[in-house]
Amino acid sequence: MSDFLAQVERRAYKQALFAVRDDHAALDVVQDAMLKLTEKYSSRPPAELPLLFQRILQNTIRDHFRRQKVRSIWTMPVSSLLGGDPEGDADPLETLEVADDSKFSEPPAEQAARAQVLALIEKALERLPARQRQAFLLRYWEELDVTAAAKIMGCSEGSVKTHCSRASHALAVMLTKQGIKL
Amino acid sequence: MNQPEHELAKKLVQYLDYGVDHLEPGVREGLAAARRTALSHYREKPATALGLAWAGQAAARLTGHRHNSARLLIAATALVLATAGGVYWQSTRPANGLTDIDFYLLTDELPINAYLDKGFDSWLKRSSR
Repeated sequence: MSDFLAQVERRAYKQALFAVRDDHAALDVVQDAMLKLTEKYSSRPPAELPLLFQRILQNTIRDHFRRQKVRSIWTMPVSSLLGGDPEGDADPLETLEVADDSKFSEPPAEQAARAQVLALIEKALERLPARQRQAFLLRYWEELDVTAAAKIMGCSEGSVKTHCSRASHALAVMLTKQGIKL
Repeated sequence: MNQPEHELAKKLVQYLDYGVDHLEPGVREGLAAARRTALSHYREKPATALGLAWAGQAAARLTGHRHNSARLLIAATALVLATAGGVYWQSTRPANGLTDIDFYLLTDELPINAYLDKGFDSWLKRSSR
């Protein structure tokens, strides 16, 4: 179980981060998902764990949004009185700055360029519709087959294929706009 | 899925993997702490299960049995009370007026009011024919 969690935790964190767009919330989501897996499904065979964990993770992300929605019902009247965010409609890709070099001590130029492209890819993923992003990450990053992805997403296999196709197309368009050719 | 899509996805995933390999130390520590917390729950389970599994199951069985017995007892008591109530009501309810008249007629103790009632008089005549 320990090895499995160590193997999936970082990708799970990134998946959660793309969805919730907040470091702390993403960590909370991953921790909740890990707890649910260990508490309820620790007796399951190791082969079943990836699928179970993905399902739990996606449900936990959904729960996060549900809680956030309920919270926003209470906080919205107050925030509307205080005034909204003037930059709320801004395109994050247009204002995105190159990631600073703090991550790498004296990085080579190639590493810096790669980090820059990565930041743009991650931003583009964040901007994708949730279902498209989910399908894309499950199919290509988690390397799940269409059937498994459909089970996790609670939709048909055809929908998964459509979401994946649209996600790839949208990502290609967004990255090309930013002058990135992969 | 067509080839260009697959190729693009493959390249994007390579970048994403690179990002995962170069997560900030703070995030990595946070994830390790989350994993430890989850695993501590996982490890506590077998110990608890070994120590208290039998006792827990027995207690659950016992309390479950108790709950069932209590429910059964309450239902039986309610049934007995309802039956007793019904019998009591039947035995103490005011006698039917006709039964009373029959009784008085048979014992020749018909009250004077009965003879003053015109309807009763005509009924008596009709029935005696």
